[in-house]
Amino acid sequence: MIFKRELKRNLKSLIIWSVVLSGLILLTLSIYPQFAEQQNEMNKLLESYPEPIKKVFGMNELNLGELMGFYGVEIYMMTTLLGSIYSAILASNILAKEENEKTIEFLLSKPVGRSRIVTEKLLSVFVNILILNGVSTITSIIGFQFADDPDVPTDTFTLLAVATILLHLTFGAIAFMLSSMLKKTRSIMSVSLGIVLAAYFMNVMAGISEDLEVLKYFSPFKYVDAAQIINDNKLEPLYMFIMAAVIFISVITSYMVYRKKDIAV
Amino acid sequence: MELSTKKGNIKRKFSKKLSKGNISRLFIAYLYFYSNNAYTTKWDVYLDGILFFCFGENGLCHVLRMELFSTCSFKKKHIDYPVNFNIMELTAQSIRTKPPKGGVRMKIIDVKNLTKTYKKNRGIVNLTFSVEEGEIFGFIGPNGAGKSTTIRTLLNFLYPTSGSATIFGKDIVKQSKEIRQNVGYLPSEVHFYDDMKVIDLLKYSAGFYKKFNQKRMKELAERLDLDLHKKIEDLSFGNRKKVGIVQALLHEPKLLILDEPTGGLDPLMQNTFFEILTEEREKGTTIIFSSHILSEVQKMCDRVAIIKEGELVKVETIENLTKNNLKNITITFEQTNAIDFDLEGIVKKEINGSEMMLLYSGDIKTLLNQLNTMPVQDLLIEEPSLEEVFIHYYEK
Repeated sequence: MIFKRELKRNLKSLIIWSVVLSGLILLTLSIYPQFAEQQNEMNKLLESYPEPIKKVFGMNELNLGELMGFYGVEIYMMTTLLGSIYSAILASNILAKEENEKTIEFLLSKPVGRSRIVTEKLLSVFVNILILNGVSTITSIIGFQFADDPDVPTDTFTLLAVATILLHLTFGAIAFMLSSMLKKTRSIMSVSLGIVLAAYFMNVMAGISEDLEVLKYFSPFKYVDAAQIINDNKLEPLYMFIMAAVIFISVITSYMVYRKKDIAV
Repeated sequence: MELSTKKGNIKRKFSKKLSKGNISRLFIAYLYFYSNNAYTTKWDVYLDGILFFCFGENGLCHVLRMELFSTCSFKKKHIDYPVNFNIMELTAQSIRTKPPKGGVRMKIIDVKNLTKTYKKNRGIVNLTFSVEEGEIFGFIGPNGAGKSTTIRTLLNFLYPTSGSATIFGKDIVKQSKEIRQNVGYLPSEVHFYDDMKVIDLLKYSAGFYKKFNQKRMKELAERLDLDLHKKIEDLSFGNRKKVGIVQALLHEPKLLILDEPTGGLDPLMQNTFFEILTEEREKGTTIIFSSHILSEVQKMCDRVAIIKEGELVKVETIENLTKNNLKNITITFEQTNAIDFDLEGIVKKEINGSEMMLLYSGDIKTLLNQLNTMPVQDLLIEEPSLEEVFIHYYEK
């Protein structure tokens, strides 16, 4: 019931995000053929970029002239960052919106347990994230067809897709936990977007300066670094474990908080 | 005397003029016709109407005007009236029908030392009371007294700090979900999902229960004059309240919890709402009703819990509470200084220039006789505020 209702309620924003993200992916991939053609000149241009910038975007480790490398530098950044923002916004709203708009009195007066409310809403967040990822993955595959040689290594591409989903779920779960604790949707959204952007920024900082490299451990964006995944062709188990643990703890906390909380509007 | 009958065709008008002297007191009654006639039951005839009548000096009832309007059309014209009358007079006396016959009544709600304190709110302290099956139980107190907190604790929106309560013999914390299966709740401020249509919201609501009665939904919506196909965001406050009423009643709950239910409803709608409640109580539904308007509680309830600053002052029957017939009276004299006088039944007196404010519990005729001889410019008789009733009541 609640799950279906939430899917319906969030459909519009899912469509908008999917269209925008797909558009960006296709647009970016459509310039790849030109890019590949003029590889030498491009590489020269990129050579002139400052080292830290190259490091941040993985340009020093990835070959932009290869489709996978191009994807890792140009597209992957968009899907991870934009998808994380989407997940954070979606999950921030989902529980607290009912309290904020005082519709929770309606919902709670029905014969439905609080756990079920949490479960169905959480499920709807996860399904929305999966759909957005599905759309961006399929769009990328379509976009690859622009290239003369559209074949990419399936295993590497799958690893990147899985890493992206895990990253989105991590931010989604954190925002969801905040949503279960606080009442004001606007402040929750600020905090969860803040977390996403701070994490992104820490990743950038870690790339720029050797001294700040320790920051990378705090940034989930670093956990899913494209250069590392493409070059090693594997996901770092420690990082995956940390993300899984964050998701797990956030979800458990959400249940515990929401079940015991006083809800007065 | 004009009556607006927005919807429905007036099937039959009947009026009779009476000479002025005959009229003692005007009554208004709402009529229900549930046909038990073999002819008509086939078509599920349902009629209602309004009757104006008075008692003449000889004690006979005179019908001044009767208006019937049907809410569904007839297929055959030759139906004989009246089929089956069920007159309900919308006054305090008749609405307070007798409790169900025979047997010991079950305690629907049993509250023991219930306390809830939380951050900003005063909460409730040590409430103990019980509500019996089939009762209309009022919760009355000024705003912020703890009425809503009590209701929210009973529904487990809030967890009690100490004490306990049961509804239908089930624990309000541990078995809340089962309890809510049979409870209909109307919040004081209704908020629904703006993007939904009324009908979708009601279906969504019904989906949580094990039953959905489309016929009942349509019937309720029609009686309340509610458009099912509008979007919630396009509805006025009063219309949202109607949606709230329908969603609370739709699954035919055994217990209705209504938090300040009449706010936002116009007087005609309030009457329809009270009619619906009367029918519910006749079916045996228990009703809890919170309000800060005394007359409303007087009209509907059997007993009231008076709650003030989070504490239960007393549980009292309506008869006892309003026995004293307390009125707030403001007299404005023609001259600049009010003329002081004393009468039996004056509880409180305050003089302010040409104005005299009285809290009066005596016979109104005695007061009028007294004023008859005085240069009175204006006279205002009002229901006293709750505070005044309580103060008066507990000073005694």
